[in-house]
Amino acid sequence: MSAILEFDAVTRVHGSGPAAVRALGPVSFAVEPGELVAIMGPSGAGKSTLLALAGALDQPTQGRVSIGGVDLATRSRDELASLRRRTVGYVFQALNLLPGLTALENVALPLELDGAALAAARAQASEALARVRLGELAQRFPDELSGGEQQRVAIARAFVGQRALLLADEPTGALDSLSGELVMRLLREQCDAGRSAVLVTHDAAHAAWADRVLHLRDGRFSDAARATLVGARNPAERGA
Amino acid sequence: MSVRNSLLAILAAQPTHGYGLKADFERNTSGAWPLNIGQVYTTLARLERDGLVEPQGASDDGPRQTWRITDAGRGELSRWFGEPVESDPPPRDELAIKVLLAIAADRDDVSAILDAQRAATLERMGELTRQKQRADPERELPWVLLLDALILKAKAELDWIELCEARLRERSQR
Repeated sequence: MSAILEFDAVTRVHGSGPAAVRALGPVSFAVEPGELVAIMGPSGAGKSTLLALAGALDQPTQGRVSIGGVDLATRSRDELASLRRRTVGYVFQALNLLPGLTALENVALPLELDGAALAAARAQASEALARVRLGELAQRFPDELSGGEQQRVAIARAFVGQRALLLADEPTGALDSLSGELVMRLLREQCDAGRSAVLVTHDAAHAAWADRVLHLRDGRFSDAARATLVGARNPAERGA
Repeated sequence: MSVRNSLLAILAAQPTHGYGLKADFERNTSGAWPLNIGQVYTTLARLERDGLVEPQGASDDGPRQTWRITDAGRGELSRWFGEPVESDPPPRDELAIKVLLAIAADRDDVSAILDAQRAATLERMGELTRQKQRADPERELPWVLLLDALILKAKAELDWIELCEARLRERSQR
């Protein structure tokens, strides 16, 4: 089984010379297919930097980031854009969806941007919405959906078609406890079905849905909690 | 935990005998706090002495004796449900004691103590969360609510650990 995401001795330094600030690293870790990994740690510990590097939105100063076995440093800007569209989806705390498009159109959009035929894109979007139990609300616009439902649409879009890796930054941040739990439950289901996700969160109750929690402090994983196994779900239990 | 009021709450629904009380209490609280049957009988004797329950039918039926709640018992029960639970003095918290004493002794492994606790507590939360994932909130509501309570207590411990680290870091930077 090869990792969907791999960090190999990755460091990110902002600025240079005496003003250089090391935002992250060196850190090494891998996310396997079917894994949900949570990143925790205080503000400024490097969580957002890590997520930007994982999504090919930023380049490491040193070390190597690979998505699906592809070393990102070996790819052109266009190839990276295509890799992002086909493999990686994002969920943020808010403002995930385009307000002028229905839930279905929002979810279909990355496929259409990638050149898929309209009918095929809509069919796959419809499937993705059904997986987050929103099949019946496909024709609603974002402002006709609750905050929790909007985040579920964002999860459907992140995993639409063949997209295998979801990167989430506080996706449950603005939600009440029960809506937040449903978002985590659905994210867990998607990972149990073989997709992978990296989740940045301050909420330990949400991190507890992960297989592993990586605790960042000053840009490094802290020692004892380097890779706390919260789930350690075995393949049989996972249904893999 | 108030065994007295718990037994009154069950008897308020219907009269029952000692074993019935034990079984109903454990079922309604998902078996989280097993009751000793001896404790049930001792408590029933005190409740009878205080006029809060009375035997139904022939008394001296031994273990098969059925008990029912009195009007005074219902009054006591309403008072219990109506009053917030007292949290003062704070319950003994071994983690807090350990960390406060480690800081007082100026030990250099406070950070390692906190890290180890975080790893252990996260692991326990993961196990509780997996049990919640498998549970059906419709059919197993008491069990799911109990898991919620345990998860949120663990979360409070983790939030406290994070605050400890932040305050210690602030102090070391002064």
